[in-house]
Amino acid sequence: MTAVIDEPARTPGRWAAPPRPAWEEKPGPAGVAGKGLALALACLAILFPLWIVVVTSLSSRRTIDEAGGLVMIPKDITFVAYQELLSGGQVTRAAVISIGVTLAGTAFSMTVSVLCAYGLSRTGSLGHRWVLMLLLATMFFSAGLIPTYLLVQSLGLTDTYLALILPSAVSVFNILVLRGFFMGISQELIDSARIDGAGDLRILWRIVMPLSRAVLAVITLFYAVGYWSAWFNASLYLNDQDMMPLQNVMIQLVQKQEAPVGLGQAIKTGELSGLAVQMAVMVMALLPVAVLSPFVQRHFKKGMLTGAVKG
Amino acid sequence: MSHSTVPRSRAEAETTEKPPAPPGKPGRPRARKPSLRLRWRRDRVLLLMTLPAVALLLLFNYLPILGNVVAFQDYDPYISDNGIVSILHSPWVGVENFERIFADSAFWNAVRNTLVLFFLQLLLFFPIPVLLALLINSVVRPRVRAVSQAILYLPHFFSWVLVIAVFQQLFGGAGILSQLLREHGYDGLDIMTDPSSFAFLITAQSVWKDAGWGIIVFLAALASVPPDLYEAAAMDGAGRWRRMWHVTLPALRPVIALLLVLRVGDALTVGFEQILLQRDAVGPGAAEVLDTFVWWNGVRNQDFGYAAAAGLVKGVVSIGLVLAANKVAHLMGEQGVYKK
Amino acid sequence: MTPNAASAAPAPSRRSFLASSAVAAAAVAGGMPLLTACGGSDGGSREGTTAGKEAEKLLPAYVAGTVVTPDIPAKNGSAVGFTRKLDLAGLKTSVPEKLGKGGRVTIMSPFWGSPPKSDNAYYRAMNDLIGVDITWQNQDGNTYEQKLGAVLASSDVPDVVVVPSWNLNGRIPSAIISKFADLGPYLSGDAVKEYPNLAAVPTDAWQRSIFGGKLRGLPQPQPYVTGIVPLYRQDIFEKEGYEVPTSCDEFLALAKEATNAKAKRWACLDMKWTAFQAFGVMSGNEKPLGWTMVDGKMINRVETDEYLEALEWTRKLFAAGVVHPDAELGKSQATDAGPKFAKGEFLIYAQNISQWWSRTAEQATQNPEFKVWGMDVFGHDGGDPVLWAEQPAGIWAFVNKKASEAVIRDVLAAANVTAAPYGTKEYMMTNYGVEGTHYTVKDGVPTKTDQGNIDVMNAYVMLASPAATIAHPDFPEVAKGQVEWQQRMGAFTRKSSFHGMQITEPSRYANLSSDFEQMEDDFVRGRKKMGEVQQAISEWRSKGGDKLRDWYKKLLDENGSAAN
Repeated sequence: MTAVIDEPARTPGRWAAPPRPAWEEKPGPAGVAGKGLALALACLAILFPLWIVVVTSLSSRRTIDEAGGLVMIPKDITFVAYQELLSGGQVTRAAVISIGVTLAGTAFSMTVSVLCAYGLSRTGSLGHRWVLMLLLATMFFSAGLIPTYLLVQSLGLTDTYLALILPSAVSVFNILVLRGFFMGISQELIDSARIDGAGDLRILWRIVMPLSRAVLAVITLFYAVGYWSAWFNASLYLNDQDMMPLQNVMIQLVQKQEAPVGLGQAIKTGELSGLAVQMAVMVMALLPVAVLSPFVQRHFKKGMLTGAVKG
Repeated sequence: MSHSTVPRSRAEAETTEKPPAPPGKPGRPRARKPSLRLRWRRDRVLLLMTLPAVALLLLFNYLPILGNVVAFQDYDPYISDNGIVSILHSPWVGVENFERIFADSAFWNAVRNTLVLFFLQLLLFFPIPVLLALLINSVVRPRVRAVSQAILYLPHFFSWVLVIAVFQQLFGGAGILSQLLREHGYDGLDIMTDPSSFAFLITAQSVWKDAGWGIIVFLAALASVPPDLYEAAAMDGAGRWRRMWHVTLPALRPVIALLLVLRVGDALTVGFEQILLQRDAVGPGAAEVLDTFVWWNGVRNQDFGYAAAAGLVKGVVSIGLVLAANKVAHLMGEQGVYKK
Repeated sequence: MTPNAASAAPAPSRRSFLASSAVAAAAVAGGMPLLTACGGSDGGSREGTTAGKEAEKLLPAYVAGTVVTPDIPAKNGSAVGFTRKLDLAGLKTSVPEKLGKGGRVTIMSPFWGSPPKSDNAYYRAMNDLIGVDITWQNQDGNTYEQKLGAVLASSDVPDVVVVPSWNLNGRIPSAIISKFADLGPYLSGDAVKEYPNLAAVPTDAWQRSIFGGKLRGLPQPQPYVTGIVPLYRQDIFEKEGYEVPTSCDEFLALAKEATNAKAKRWACLDMKWTAFQAFGVMSGNEKPLGWTMVDGKMINRVETDEYLEALEWTRKLFAAGVVHPDAELGKSQATDAGPKFAKGEFLIYAQNISQWWSRTAEQATQNPEFKVWGMDVFGHDGGDPVLWAEQPAGIWAFVNKKASEAVIRDVLAAANVTAAPYGTKEYMMTNYGVEGTHYTVKDGVPTKTDQGNIDVMNAYVMLASPAATIAHPDFPEVAKGQVEWQQRMGAFTRKSSFHGMQITEPSRYANLSSDFEQMEDDFVRGRKKMGEVQQAISEWRSKGGDKLRDWYKKLLDENGSAAN
């Protein structure tokens, strides 16, 4: 009745189209061409700048200076920019920290958010509108930097990793999206489970969550990306530079060139250009996408689950 | 369920089974409000489940938001040993900070720019992720789907500095396009520094950077459309486009409505970092938006009372907007953020 | 407000922030409320300044260092220059015995770049040399302002906090007065002689370190000669046979000749700062520097004809199409000018004098033809220019008010080491680290090792510095060029009425002229008309400019000028 997996049969080439269901008509050549063209253009508009970034990150100072900045046509390939990033051991240490904070933070945020979203998903339940308003208001009213800092400090969270997780653990936007999807789940399923004596936690765990794998994957991704790319809290709440997560280290590596007058002790001489370092940082920022994208896409397969009850 | 009519949406497909659902209150029909005690017994677990999130928000959002009382002060956090104690010692100035904001013509200029950008992005940005998601969803080859999705997500992870640098490299006055034009005897381009088209430039950059990332939620919505709905529609003789119109789009409608309502509530926020970086390029006349205005006039000068006042004004307007948008969503049969 | 984005603006333009006018240096530093009746209490008004006799009582005695003699002594407000090769064996000792008493000190400081591990060879060696266990809290330089604001509002302030002048915005000056210790008892008058290297710090830098009527800061001295140099590609000038221009008309003519957009070459970037210099417009780096007495009348820089003329001429450059299009993006340009200058996309730009050396060093191995040099600032009509002096100190270290005497003594011991002059062992250690580990010397030129490039950054140099020094053992001819440029320009440099003072304007005027820099940029790029600029100036007068004029007049009457 639920969760019918419609795995397409393995076809010889993975680029080939899986067989269509009988009822689906074959698209016309114009349709295929149009779709292909639109998709190709969109991807090209992204890949071309990406090409520039990658090539620049692999270029020597001479090539960059000859191009007057970003490089489009590679002349020489050098990895000095990446060597610069990975030398000194800061990046590897920071990457471990970032992975840890991202994993712990995402798990915590997801737990809190899924519970909250489910708790708000039944219309007409007691007090849910008050809670919703309470949540909503935080999206539009923000506290100043100083009160927030003083709070975190008086809770004793400065120089702890909790300061990177707790203040930003709850995203109301994510909760609302989760809740929207939870509410789309057939009420009959839930009601019948309730009649069978299942409690709310059990319903959430056994019915709602399995039926919401796609959106759970998306929100997990949102939280993970959020934790991974956050840096301001770390720069505010951490004093110990050995605790800094990857983003901060990366930003600071880029900023080496930006030191004010008289403090520019890190002038790049020789092959290495500051621009290449900047671009290398950008390329490395794309790595998580490469890692996470397949994970999320697994849950996007068409017709992977059905939530409706047939009447 | 009869297949004689193609269902409009899943939510509605369910409610059609229970015809007497009162208008504006889709979903579970509520016959009579049960007593408070009954509801408490029934719903206390649900409330308990919201507790962790609520507690975190109360602690880390609401508590520091109390600090916004400095909007009515000439607040000096350094006047005493501790910034909180300083609130007690800072002079109260009534609504002076608010008067200063409203009396400033630059503020109203910033509001106008913000709204122009918001509407432009609503028109030109918002539909694109939906269309892209439909496009991706209609691709059946798994590899093409996977690769194109991965590519479309990438620009979201570029920093704004880089996006602007790339745009400048391509479209700037000394960019590739300009030099190409010059080689053929034309003048160079001015689009990166032209105040009159700045709003379009900003929108184009936003589309490039974030439209691909924006498809994710829609793809999740599409993934949960049951294939039997398509099959049923096809059996009824609905062609490709009619199936999209009657099955796919309705499945997206609740998500679209939710995101639209939230976006309207956020109308006064448009690309802070992106605009701050390009403010000098076209001047504040075209580029000052509410957030950058507050940044220059309140935050940078540590005029905390002023910044807090601006934040309060913005928050009140935003709440008003989101409630209004939610109302509109209700009228259109969507539930938006919360149900009536 | 989104805090993440908060740091976005300054990021690409830190260097220019130092030199740029109103916006960056919007507010000014603190001073003793001599004008107002209520004395030095923390809660009272903190407006005003300390100068003249009052200041003399606070200032440390000056005892010139005798350990090292510079190759080019300071003249006309220049730095001292060293052009000789580095002789490791001949390094002098300026701190014969450790003054540190082995205490623990925590220092918060801005940091540009990626900080090294908190326990590294450089920090260990320095702490050993000083005799104090210093822990560095190195904070991201580009978000330092927010961090500083928050930390000072808390009751947990580190022992020492480093504050650059460009972070003295808004209420930070008043925070400095209420949160940091008076160092007078340890430094004023002859007391400083206990710390000989601090005694050799020039008096005008100390004068700038008086906040709220007390000597609170340990300064980093800088030359008072303008730091903005019109830098140009000397090699291309020679190849094309261009003459260095000596007037505004010559500059424009040369710029037109040199520009060939089709070949992707423009003459220059935004030359507004050079224009201000050529027309003799007062400094916009700090608000008090924009005021001076002319014929018994207190005037502000924006009220002068020169100001408008300088803008008009800059506008001509833009209109003539000789400015590189990237410069139109303004300060926040997302593109790095370095590679474009190296490629020769533009030939002249106005920037801080430190880039004279850094551009040279960057290109030296890869591009042997490349030669950058600084051109003398020309008077707009071809005569001598009128330049205005900048402030003689720009970064301070402050000690927490709650610190014990032992901590203060330890901090001063550390400062006495970091303020050691060029040519001493202490200077080499502070700036280059440990020989063999952090740098190697070949043919009298020290070169940092990989570890040196990681460990030896910022930190100790932020504490206190010797008199402004220019020494580039790798490019001695650049050091010579820089100091000589400063001395030639120094001869044309005047001090405005409030030069050298630490002044706090009444806070109600804090926002008054912060829009002018944007106005200037709008005008020179053709987005605003002269009428609008003039209107903004008259609005400025009526909104508080005239009141501020009276305030400054009174300040001068009661304190006299520092520049005497």
